[in-house]
Amino acid sequence: MRPLLLCVVSTALLAFRTQSQAGEVVVYTSVDDVFARPICQQFEKQTGIKVKLVPDTEETKSTGLLNRLIAEKRRPQADVFWSGDPIRAEILKNKGISAAYQSPSAEGLPKEYSDPEGHWTGFSARAKIILYNTKLCPPGKEPTSIFDFMNPSWNGKGCMANPLFGTTSMFAAALFDALGEDMAQTWFGAASANGMKMLSSNGEVKRAVAAGDYAFGLTDTDDAAEAIKDGKPVGVVYPDSQATGTLLIPNAAVLIANGPNGENGRKFIDYLLTPEVEQALAEGEAAQIPLRSGVAVPDGMKTLPDLKQMKVDYAKVAKKLEELSRGFLKDWTAKQR
Amino acid sequence: MISCAILERQGKWRFVVLAAGLFVAFAPLLPLLWTLRDTSNLSGVFDAGFRAALLRSLTVAVAVTIIAATIGIPTGILGALYDFPLRRLLLALLLLPLLVPSFLWAIGLSMLRRAAGLPPDTILSGFGGTVITFTALAMPLVIFISLAAARAISASQTDAARLGGGESHLFRSVAKSVLPIGMSTAALAGVLTLSDPGAGQILGFPGAASEVLTSFAAQYDLGHATGQCLFLAGVVLLLALPLTMFVAPKLAAGLLARDVTPTEARGRRRLAWIAPILFCVLLAATTVLPLAGFVQPLLRETPWRRALAEVYRTLGNTSAYALIAAVIATVGGFVLAIAAGRDNKLRATLLAALVIIFAMPPALGALGFIYAANVSPAELDPLLRSRFTVGLELALHSFPIAAIFGMRAIGTASPSWAEAAAVHGVPLRSYFRKVLCRWSLPAALVSALLTALLVTADVSSVLLLHPPGEASLPLAIFSVMANAPEPLVGALCLFYVAGAAGILMLGLMVFHFARPKR
Repeated sequence: MRPLLLCVVSTALLAFRTQSQAGEVVVYTSVDDVFARPICQQFEKQTGIKVKLVPDTEETKSTGLLNRLIAEKRRPQADVFWSGDPIRAEILKNKGISAAYQSPSAEGLPKEYSDPEGHWTGFSARAKIILYNTKLCPPGKEPTSIFDFMNPSWNGKGCMANPLFGTTSMFAAALFDALGEDMAQTWFGAASANGMKMLSSNGEVKRAVAAGDYAFGLTDTDDAAEAIKDGKPVGVVYPDSQATGTLLIPNAAVLIANGPNGENGRKFIDYLLTPEVEQALAEGEAAQIPLRSGVAVPDGMKTLPDLKQMKVDYAKVAKKLEELSRGFLKDWTAKQR
Repeated sequence: MISCAILERQGKWRFVVLAAGLFVAFAPLLPLLWTLRDTSNLSGVFDAGFRAALLRSLTVAVAVTIIAATIGIPTGILGALYDFPLRRLLLALLLLPLLVPSFLWAIGLSMLRRAAGLPPDTILSGFGGTVITFTALAMPLVIFISLAAARAISASQTDAARLGGGESHLFRSVAKSVLPIGMSTAALAGVLTLSDPGAGQILGFPGAASEVLTSFAAQYDLGHATGQCLFLAGVVLLLALPLTMFVAPKLAAGLLARDVTPTEARGRRRLAWIAPILFCVLLAATTVLPLAGFVQPLLRETPWRRALAEVYRTLGNTSAYALIAAVIATVGGFVLAIAAGRDNKLRATLLAALVIIFAMPPALGALGFIYAANVSPAELDPLLRSRFTVGLELALHSFPIAAIFGMRAIGTASPSWAEAAAVHGVPLRSYFRKVLCRWSLPAALVSALLTALLVTADVSSVLLLHPPGEASLPLAIFSVMANAPEPLVGALCLFYVAGAAGILMLGLMVFHFARPKR
């Protein structure tokens, strides 16, 4: 009986162990696990602080990370939220979940990509691009604008991710901001009528376009980089370089108010905002565009001066997204199934 | 000193233990009911989007029920009546889909479709793919219940039917007897699909459970998600209750010991050749097809090292959750089984409650724990925000399996043992330790292994409750599958399936070698 008892006691001790040990930091992230984890491991090596990473799950929509942060507001478990876009960071600010923190490492990062009050700081960015299949879109005839989703010659050949989630939701809200309510609603209606298929995630768009299920789709630069690295027959267009411009989606580092390891949280944010991390994200599989000038990037990667960017007021877009998620976008996505 | 005889007598303690056990099982739902005080959470719950999603879910459930019943019942009967080479192995392999997360099978089908160059509107995706995935999970349930029901017919009855009209007559007679329980199981398996969001979401046919997660994840609306979840649970309850009322008494009686020789599988019969063919076809459709999807990207690249690192990172947590859940579920299930004893009414009531618990959406209990943790002081974190919480929630959802194993073990123990122990003044504690525990040990071990496998396949509860940095392997697959390279996802899925198959074989070996010999 004694070994059995010992086994039960040790299991119980292991089971009841709670979080917030000294020398660790809890990081929630909506950035893909495969991209975020190497950065966290590097931070662990440099500082000796253990990172407990809670990544998001994009594809099956059971993310709930932001919701988990909202639900845990009274007694947060997270110290830092590394957001894949600034809109979720802005929502956390509006709900009083984030704390202001001006990191010394933020020097050199353009101010327009960060919250003026310091609740979130933007760094390395992705862009919302059109990924096309080179076998289905001959050279010179590839779609160049988001309005090509409405073009009858591309009927049934375009796809995009569910606009209720991830960066596509930011794109949708930014579109409403850039084009105006009526025009944006017309775009969604006309694209849908033209046979644009709504898929579950950006990763799914990448796979569908790469496999030739669809000729082109709206996705992010990191997904495109993955497909290119895998040797898929795909090409990338930064859309609307002559019109509204391409949507840039910076990462955002957010310090959670009253997190259990606030000091370590600040250290993690200081690390995230360094030029070294921007360089690592540019050179890594994520192929993210550095916001700082002067950070070395791999050959062929676009940098900020190469892009015509869509003008975005993050605070306004965040408010718009909350309204759209319960209204127009919810109804639109319901009709797509 | 408490007499051992109380185990074979009526007593109030039985009601008290059963009521307490079931209260604990339903307790995580109580905080959710608190949210209903704000009626705005319920307004708009049944909107057009949710209605359409529910209709999709019901369509899938009906299709799964029809297919699982049409194919599963005859297969189960053939498996019970006829012996053929590798019968036990094929039966065990047919169980495999039941022990892996449904989303894993959906990933496999999705990969296979792309590898085969099939367009997105083929049978491997959308409605067809979702039905195939869920049927793969429902089929083992129907086959094994039908097989057990057919084996419950006495050998003398099957011999008589055989003599009276040959193999076809025997098959028809057995089918007539098995059909009600087989159909009910298929319907119940169909109902179970209503609470599973993964497959439909991946294959482009999202149902009501996906809609709940949409409210939770995209609209940051915990109250609305809870309202929808409770509504879905109501639908599940409405469908499961009549089935449960029908199945429970039959199952309760079937779990007791019977003094008859059960039907033995026999070889070299006219219909015997159909069985292995049917088994192999089913195995190909439910298991080999998705596995082929995982293997295909590995032909290009084999990232074993990276996949192994991921397995290594998550193995400890996966095992801890499975172990905690298996221990709690097995202990809890067997305690309830002892409380129900041999009383048919108590056993039927318990079984009805167990089926309802099993059919409930897993996210429901997890949401309850989140609510409870939020309003509780930090001192309760070890109970509400730890690995134990995850294990407990998984156990509360899966203990019906252990309880059924326990009822079978208790039901087949001889009543005279407790009576004899009482006459000789054996203390209850000694009787438990030396007789009842030893008798129940094989069933408890198999139940613990099965529970461990089943809870490991659960993603919803772990996703919502896991402490930071303590993800399980299925959750890790769930997290990386959108953006990780296909070979890595394929390798991780293969590792999971191989692990599940290994534990399944171990369970069968334990059952084979440790079961009491007649």
